[in-house]
Amino acid sequence: MTGTIGQHELSQMFQNAAALIREHHAELSALDSASGDGDHGATMLRIADQLEIAASSADLRSTLHDAGWKILSVDGGASSSLFGTFFLGVADAPECDCALDCTALAATFEAGLAAVSKQTRARPGDKTLMDALVPAIASLRAAVETRKSVVDAMHDAASAARAGAESTSGLTARFGRAKFLGEKTRGHQDPGAASIALLFEGFSSALAKTKGDTANARC
Amino acid sequence: MFLAMDFLCGPAGPEVNEMPMKKFINRPENIVPELLEGLALAFPDKLRLTGSKLIARAVPKAKDKVALVTLGGSGHEPGLSGFVGEGMLDASVAGEIFAAPGAPRVLEAIQLVHGDAGVLLVVLNHAGDVLSANITMEMAKREGLNVKMVLTHEDISSGPKDQPEERRGLVGFLPVYKVAGAAAEQGRSLDQCLKIADRMERNMRTLAVAVSTATHPSTGQPIFELGDDEMEIGMGQHGEAGTGRMKLKTADETAEIMLEMLLADLEAKAGEELLVIVNGAGATTLMELLILFRRVSRILMAKGIKLARAKVGEFITTQEQAGVQMMIARLDAELIALWDAPCDTPYFVVR
Repeated sequence: MTGTIGQHELSQMFQNAAALIREHHAELSALDSASGDGDHGATMLRIADQLEIAASSADLRSTLHDAGWKILSVDGGASSSLFGTFFLGVADAPECDCALDCTALAATFEAGLAAVSKQTRARPGDKTLMDALVPAIASLRAAVETRKSVVDAMHDAASAARAGAESTSGLTARFGRAKFLGEKTRGHQDPGAASIALLFEGFSSALAKTKGDTANARC
Repeated sequence: MFLAMDFLCGPAGPEVNEMPMKKFINRPENIVPELLEGLALAFPDKLRLTGSKLIARAVPKAKDKVALVTLGGSGHEPGLSGFVGEGMLDASVAGEIFAAPGAPRVLEAIQLVHGDAGVLLVVLNHAGDVLSANITMEMAKREGLNVKMVLTHEDISSGPKDQPEERRGLVGFLPVYKVAGAAAEQGRSLDQCLKIADRMERNMRTLAVAVSTATHPSTGQPIFELGDDEMEIGMGQHGEAGTGRMKLKTADETAEIMLEMLLADLEAKAGEELLVIVNGAGATTLMELLILFRRVSRILMAKGIKLARAKVGEFITTQEQAGVQMMIARLDAELIALWDAPCDTPYFVVR
């Protein structure tokens, strides 16, 4: 039994990620103060609100779609545009159905990443959220190859996102407003990457808790 | 949200050991809706607040004319919404403080003003704004809307001349709104309006200097740090670091350094006609702006370059940052005529 993610699990994932972001928003703002204008935590709080609202949508696809559209609408500059684009990309993937097994999870999240990659020229190494997002999605794909459960796949993705976020401390910003600060950005994690890590950690711990339910998931 | 930071905001907050922010605001999360409401209430004959906090003309223009829409973060007043009105913008989408508005609201603004002639979307080159604009353009295409986009990127400090995509959009939005807005008002097609906006854009250059920082009105934090006796040439709209930090200089010396860099980048020659804009960043006084402008004007005269048109004042600010954006633009007869055409907006009127 490798399990699936249905609307119930997704709803738990969104609520849990929202809670985790709220818990850490002050740290995200502190990171942003080192390289930006210190408001990233506030933006992520608004994104967390939208994740929570979307969590009560009718089905899996509309939950993802509503999250994307609502997050695009929070006026949070590049962060909300990229987070929103990610969820819209996941929702629009043909594999996005009523329940995601590990293969569909990897495929839909890859579609989300592809949508983000289309909107930004930033790639891993540029000290942006891509440093966390790209390895997280790659580990979902790796989990398919090794036939892992969705719970373990998401756990791996969260670990990869966290490692990616931590790696940004050693990088110099090359994108967004932070690039104008150049070397001064070294020594601090990119706040967007740190937010991606929180998102996946929230997803992962929620899935671990609902593990017993997944076997009973129905369309 | 922001509860932990309430103490930083406004003169009425409880006593705490943090230095309180000396700004007349209420709750930080209400800054943007309240400032837009104030703008609409102050200029009811020119603009109105509609839909999801969009600023649009009080009297929509005729359906057969091209409409102009722009987007950008708040906290830079009177930019950008203060230039909505006859002869300039049809709608402006204001984001949060220093943060771009999301694509759904930009699309809403385009749908609001879209007539038979289409919409020109004017975007200042900043990562968040461009991202929202690109997403909006995709959505507009799917909706079958006729939208063209012009990107302003005239700040010579943020990228070399051969990489214009790296250059930021600063006060140069003003002449682009003005000439494209005038062209639209005259009934020119979307392609013609785009061509004019593009010609204006390619012929303008801006350089900024900052002498003191600003406070982020939501977080209460300074947006950058600068020594008491220093100035920084090349400072961006949000305190992004520039290219040259140096000891504070006189007005004449500052004007000379900045104008020489601008003239060299534009390759301006004797006999050409220039538009000059000296824009205050928020705390620099009109007195200082005029003293700087005086020197600019003198230098141009000495070089045989004609000062065709000028504007001195505040068009885009960054809170109480002290500093100046200096812009020069090469004009031709058509651009001069469009610059001189009538307009009626809260902060730019030509009769």
